Amino acid sequence: MNRESRTPSDLVARARAGDVVAFDALYLSCQAGIYSFIRSQVREEELAADLTQQTFVRAWESLPRLKEAGAFLGWLHRIAANLVRDEVKSGRARLEVIASEMADDPLATPSTQPGPEEAAISAGLQEAVWAAIAELSADQRGVVVMHHLEDMSVAEIARALGVRPGTVMSRLARAREALRKRLSGYLEDSDVKL
Amino acid sequence: MSSCDRIREQLSLYAVGGLSRRARSGIERHLRSCPACASELTALARTGDLLGAIAPRSAPAALLESVRREILARPRPPAGTRLRRTWRLALATTALAVLVAGGIFLRPHQPSAPPVATAFEPTDDDTPAAMEAHLAAQWSTPLADEAAVGLRMIDEEGG
Repeated sequence: MNRESRTPSDLVARARAGDVVAFDALYLSCQAGIYSFIRSQVREEELAADLTQQTFVRAWESLPRLKEAGAFLGWLHRIAANLVRDEVKSGRARLEVIASEMADDPLATPSTQPGPEEAAISAGLQEAVWAAIAELSADQRGVVVMHHLEDMSVAEIARALGVRPGTVMSRLARAREALRKRLSGYLEDSDVKL
Repeated sequence: MSSCDRIREQLSLYAVGGLSRRARSGIERHLRSCPACASELTALARTGDLLGAIAPRSAPAALLESVRREILARPRPPAGTRLRRTWRLALATTALAVLVAGGIFLRPHQPSAPPVATAFEPTDDDTPAAMEAHLAAQWSTPLADEAAVGLRMIDEEGG
């Protein structure tokens, strides 16, 4: 499923004009990505859910001023990233995510509509990958979720986080190297279907 | 440092597409003659495949209802209405600023008068909601910082 099909411009246009049903549809198509991103940044599950809600409410309030409908997803991430940053600054959120908590989040369920690739790996392997992601730095976790789970480009991520594209690339590369080491057992297992 | 060590340092950047064409060519030349580094690159690529194959986590199901309740409590007019008001108010703001600035420079110096800054009461434009509104305007037109003035005026008129 590509991003364009998840956040079609006409839905954004309708929501911008005040159509709550269209905004519901946008919520349903973007919530897993936003929640995953926030969950990758803060340790507390309830806080992650609360920040996800705040992200969409803020988006609803500010949507009339977003002229570029195609930029919706990146803009939504920027709102989420700002909310996370404010929570961390205030001391209410902790950036550390315990691997076991991230891999086995009782509040969260896997996305309800897995694509063919997502269905191709077992739940156990998914947990192992999430656990490995949880051991990365917060900066690395953020770009990994946005790039690999949400298919956002390096330029989009850079804009959403307010950093240079080279910084995003560097975080992705360091994350890839660290994950390659942590997942080496799975990578060498010829039975793992990718 | 061996050539393999130098290549390994750049291999993850190569795997994520972060190198220049020239740097890529150098690595590709090395990979053609070095099975160990080629194998490392394969492992990095498979790691990327794994990351692309995991499913994002869904938010708690009850959150949709919560979000809906919140946004229904925040009705807003269509975008066009606000935009027109923004420009009207921005023009009014500019005119007011000219008048105020003129008054400041033409007025004789009065040591006992309060500093100019105190003539403007602090507004709530650094509230999270106002910041997000400004972000939306800036996202659409990144160089339009005058958006901040317009948005503040909208909030003041609305309030």
